[in-house]
This record gives sequence, C-alpha cells and structure tokens, in this order.
Amino acid sequence: MTSSPTLSRRSASSAPVQLRKSKRNGADARAGYTFLLPWLLGFIALTVGPMISSLYLSFTNYNLFEPPKWIGLDNYTTLFQDERFLQSVGVTVGYVVFGTPLKLAAALAVAMLLNSKRRGQGFYRSAFYAPSLIGASVSIAIVWKAMFGDSGPVGQGLSFFGINLGGWVGNPAMTMPMFILLTVWQFGAPMVIFLAGLKQIPGELYEAASMDGAGPVRKFFNITWPMLSPVIFFNLLMETIHAFQIFASAYIISNGEGGPAGSTLFYTLYLYLRGFSDFRMGYASAMAWLLVVVVGIITLIFFRTSKSWVHYSGDSR
Amino acid sequence: MINRRHFLTTVAIGTASAAALSACGSGAGSSGQTGSADKPVTINYTWWGNDDRAERTRKAIALFESKNPDIKVNGNFTDFAGYWQKRATEAAGGGLPDVMQWDLSYLRDYGQRNQLLDLSTVKIDTSAFDKSLLPSGQIKGKTYGIPTSTNAFAVYYDPAKLAPLGIAEPDGTWTYKEFNDFLTQVGTKSNGALYGGTDYTGVWWMFNIWLRQNKIEAFTSDGKLGFSKDDLKKWWNLTANLRGTGAIIPEDRVTQLAPKSPFGSNATATEVTWDNFMAGYLGDSGAKELKLVPVPSDDPDNLGLFLKPSMLMVASAKTKFKDAAARFIDFMVNDPEVGQIFKTSRGVPASKTQRDGTTFEGTDKLVVDYEKSIEKYLKDAPEPPIVGFGTLESSFKRIASDLNYGKLTVDGATDAWFKEAEDLIKQNG
Repeated sequence: MTSSPTLSRRSASSAPVQLRKSKRNGADARAGYTFLLPWLLGFIALTVGPMISSLYLSFTNYNLFEPPKWIGLDNYTTLFQDERFLQSVGVTVGYVVFGTPLKLAAALAVAMLLNSKRRGQGFYRSAFYAPSLIGASVSIAIVWKAMFGDSGPVGQGLSFFGINLGGWVGNPAMTMPMFILLTVWQFGAPMVIFLAGLKQIPGELYEAASMDGAGPVRKFFNITWPMLSPVIFFNLLMETIHAFQIFASAYIISNGEGGPAGSTLFYTLYLYLRGFSDFRMGYASAMAWLLVVVVGIITLIFFRTSKSWVHYSGDSR
Repeated sequence: MINRRHFLTTVAIGTASAAALSACGSGAGSSGQTGSADKPVTINYTWWGNDDRAERTRKAIALFESKNPDIKVNGNFTDFAGYWQKRATEAAGGGLPDVMQWDLSYLRDYGQRNQLLDLSTVKIDTSAFDKSLLPSGQIKGKTYGIPTSTNAFAVYYDPAKLAPLGIAEPDGTWTYKEFNDFLTQVGTKSNGALYGGTDYTGVWWMFNIWLRQNKIEAFTSDGKLGFSKDDLKKWWNLTANLRGTGAIIPEDRVTQLAPKSPFGSNATATEVTWDNFMAGYLGDSGAKELKLVPVPSDDPDNLGLFLKPSMLMVASAKTKFKDAAARFIDFMVNDPEVGQIFKTSRGVPASKTQRDGTTFEGTDKLVVDYEKSIEKYLKDAPEPPIVGFGTLESSFKRIASDLNYGKLTVDGATDAWFKEAEDLIKQNG
C-alpha cells in the first residue's frame, strides 16, 4: 500500500501504469475502510456517541425516568463542595500514587530476575503473568475479600507471626493496603513488557561497563534505566491511566458501598453510586468528564516531562 | 466481469446480513400476549433475599408452573442493596422484568415515573385483603403494588444465648435505658464473646418508630422533613455511651460479616428489625428457636408500631404479558399453598385466603402471635414514602456506620444526613 507512490513517481512517463497504480490506491483505501467499517461503526455508536451524550447530560439534572433538565454548570460547582466527592478523589489519588510505582517496581525487579537464563523460566514468566489476566475480574475480587476477611488466611497468617490486625476488609485503615496489594499482585503484564525491553539492551554495553569496573548498581542506573526509559515511560503512563479507572474490585470488595467509612470509595465507584443508586445521572456524567479531563492533563504532563528523562535510541542525546 | 474478490465480498456480505436478520426474529410464543400449553409465554420475575427465600420462591414458581402450563416463569434474585441499582439500569434501558418483588421505599420513585403497571387495570383478586392495607400500594388512585404480607418491628433475641449468661429473657416492656442496660449486660457477662446487639440507632425504621412515640411524623404530606436536627441528634445520642463497648458490635466486624447480619452470624444476642426476618435468621444462624418482643418505648401506651406492607408485588409498565403477570401476582398473594411455602418469611400474609390456608407452627406461629399481641398498639401505616426515600434510607445507614467507625461525631453525622435530605427534597422540586 505504501510502496505505490514511489513506484508511480518513478514510472511517471508510462501513463497507463500510473493510472492503474492510483486506481489500486483508491481500491486499497476503499478496501481498508470497508474492513475498518464494523469497528468504526461500533466506535461511533458505542463510544463517541455516548461520550457526546454524556457531555450534554453533565449540564443537566437527569434521573433516568424523566427527560433531562438543563442546569448549566451547577453539577460541576456542586462537585467541589461535595464531601464524598473530595473523599473519593483522595482515595483514588492515594491509590494511584502508591499503587502504580510499587507495581512497576515489582514488575521491573522480577523482569530483571527473569532476564537471565534459568531453568523453568518459561514457567515462571507464565506464572507471574497469569494474575494480570484474571486480576481485574469479579471472581478474584471475591477471593481477595475472603482472603483478607476476619477469618481469612491473611489475618491468620499474620497473627501467627504475632501481628494482630484482625480482618483487613472491615478496618478502614487496612482496606487501601489491601487494594494496593491487589494491584501489585497483577504486575505480570508490565513485567512482560519490561522483559521485552530488557532483551533489546545490547549485551556489549554491560560487557563494556564490566570492563570499566562498574558494579550492578552502576550498571542499572547508567545502562538499564536509560535504555529502558521508553518502556518505563509507556508502562508508567498506561498503568497510571488504568489505575484511575479501577471499579470492579472496588465494587465487589466493598459490597457496592465504598467500604468501611468511605475508605474504598474510589472515584468511579462514587460515580456509579451517584448515577445508579441516587438517580443523579447528570452529576455522574459531570464526574466522568472531569475524570477524562484530569487524566488528559496528567497524560500531557507525563509527555511534556518525558523529554527530560526518556531516552530514545537514535536520538541525538 | 466477476473476479474472485468481488465474488467473495458478495458472499461475505450476504452471509453477514442473513445472520443479522435471523437474530432479529424473536423466539416462539411471543407473537401474542397469551400462550398455550405447547407454546408457553415466559415472564421474568426477580426478588431480593437470602438463600432461604430463594429456595422457597423456586418452590412457589414450580407450583405456579404446574398449575399454569401455559406460563413459564424465569426467576432470579440479588441481595437488597444491589437490587435497586439493577432495577435502575433496567428501567433506563426499558427492560424491567415483568413481575418484581418491591419495597415501599421505592414505590413512589418508580410508580410516579410511569415505570410500573397500574394493577387495577388487570385481573387480580384483592377481596381478601384488609381494606386499610391496600392504600399503601396506591399513589393518586392508581394501584402500583399489591402487598404480599405485613410486618411489624420487633426486638429478636436468642434465648439459648441468654440462658448461659444468666440473663433473664426480656418481656418487651422496656424503656430505652432499660434496653441499653440489657445490651450492656450481655457484653459484660459474656466477657466480650457475645455482643448485645448492633447499634439500633442506625436503623431508619427504628428512628421512625421513636419519632412516632414522640408524636412526630417523619415526613409531612407535602414531602418535606417533619423533624428537626435536634430530634436526630437526640436519637443518635441514645447509644452514645454504648459505642465502643461490648454492648454494641464494632462496625468493622459488621462490615466483615456483610451481607450476612451479625445476629444471623451468631455474633450478637439481639437484633432490632422486621418480624419477617425470622425465617432468614433461623436459616443463617442455625439456632433452635428465636423469640420476638416489642421495641422499647419511654411511653408504655405508645409503642409507635404499625403494620407495614413488608413487600409488594409489582409489574413493569412495559410488560408484554399483562395477563400472565397478573395471574402470577394473584397466585403469589392469594394462593394458600404459597402461604404454606413461605409461612412468615415474607411477613404475615396479607390476604385472608392465604392466611387461613396456612398452618403456622413453631417460630412462624411466634411471628403471627407477635403481630396479634401488638394489635392494640398498632396505628395507621404511613403512606408510600417520598420520592428518593430509598437513597435517604441507605445514606442514613451509611452515615450511622461512619458514626460507629468514629469518623463522625453525632453533630457531624446529623449535619451530613440533613444536607443530603434537603438536597434530595430540593431535587424533587
């Protein structure tokens, strides 16, 4: 598809060939769009359409049963005076700020361990990757809740070592650690990506460094980290965005209530409760758009600051 | 000229459209509202409850299907909290189940917004109902729900737990102070192994009863609050000295045990709730017997009690099978065999036909006897609560839970709830 323009430029003198080539171009493009059509239709109907509709609804009062009533920016101004909203922001930000770096650190550490050839590395890679496939599911959330419950294995195990925390699920101070553990446990997906990145670092760099007398720490900070920085950036960005969207596990573990004393009232959960329990769809839509804007801003900040620490090979730096 | 690419494209499009169009066709038997024995119509029925109720409901459905071979009932259930979120999403999508078990708290929300069928337009026999009970399912002259049964508030206790502690069984004539003392006794005498009960001030309907005992109505007839912040503060301060002691189970244990209740999990000696929870508690706790006594009151002549429709049967306004839905509802509220299946697990049957056809034994008899014993104290049932009441009830529970976690003071909790209530009432406009 992309080689035709060069060909047509070279054979400019032979008109019939050029005509056939551009006809091919047109036919190729049409075929492309035709294959794209199902996805495109779905995207417009199921994603873009609802997004636009939700933007409209965020300026209204809509209780699902009666037609929406326009109220302008009221929803947005009420948001910032709503204590539970502010709490949900705090909970979600705490989760992102503590959960994501820990998860990436675990992913990188394990990826580095699995980078060297060892027996059963295929097995280990699959074993570590598996949790990230099923981690966001309902069944895992139910299991996690049971594990950290009053009589669950975690509580029992800890008390064996003399740490008497009781159940984590009902304790407002321990529910966030429980969620952070859940996300860190799913480090398999970023780990696999890190592994791929690690494999692309030329071995000669490490050999050269060894010859210069560099220890493992030096090698990590001066070779691994810079060479891996595009991958780190990618994972950091994706995991951060992903962390903001946590819903299923929050809903299941807190029984749809936002947990003991609001300690698990994640942003999306509060949004859901406002929309479907309180019938305040306009308010929920406003929350949703606010989240989009905020995540967009954070992404922008990531990209802007990336220039100072992400090192793409082939750059002049 | 036909080339291979064109041919393949046409075949692909043809197959795809054929598949799509065939999916548009509906299943058998839905061409009309009625079916027959070999082409039965299928209606959807949903309810909330625990496994015990699910078991009984399935028996009732099987019985209905055997008596009505032209109707199939597709049943499923959830717990109470999740039930309403599901209904909200279904209503938004225009797909509410044909028949549903309903709660008074949400009757106005859905009825007034034309989501429920006016049952006076279909054939349901209500002649065996107490005339004073039927208005509780009616709004502006339209019947949106038929009560299945009644219930009244009570204090449950497990005699087998009190005996080893040497605590005498209560007789139900107690003031709030005496009730509090009773709860404290349980905690102290059991050395923390058993709690007196949950924080009863977190239960909306108990608050409602206390208001009535003090001659205050919760809501005025035009949908505004009938009580003040001071009233609520007084109420929540009733158990201020019990929180954090062995009298009341700590809130984090309550969260752990959810969705099972502390009483059903044998963690407390008492529970303050509706009398139809008896069957569920027996099933969950495995206790041999549980007993009921009236709620505390500082005025022995005014217990503030009333018979509330414990639940209602409603139908979706958009159901395609009005006749089948009506027959199912009629069956569930009137048939004596259904009464035998459920006994008092939904409450005391509202229809006399169903009540008379049921033999109440053992603990079921206790529930029926309980309602008979408080008959002289019973006042009129309140009318369907205001729109959005379901939300207020759940925020009451949530804020009281925060109170018990020590996250809020009584003043803070009162302000928080009032803010939500006033906001909601303003929304209702």
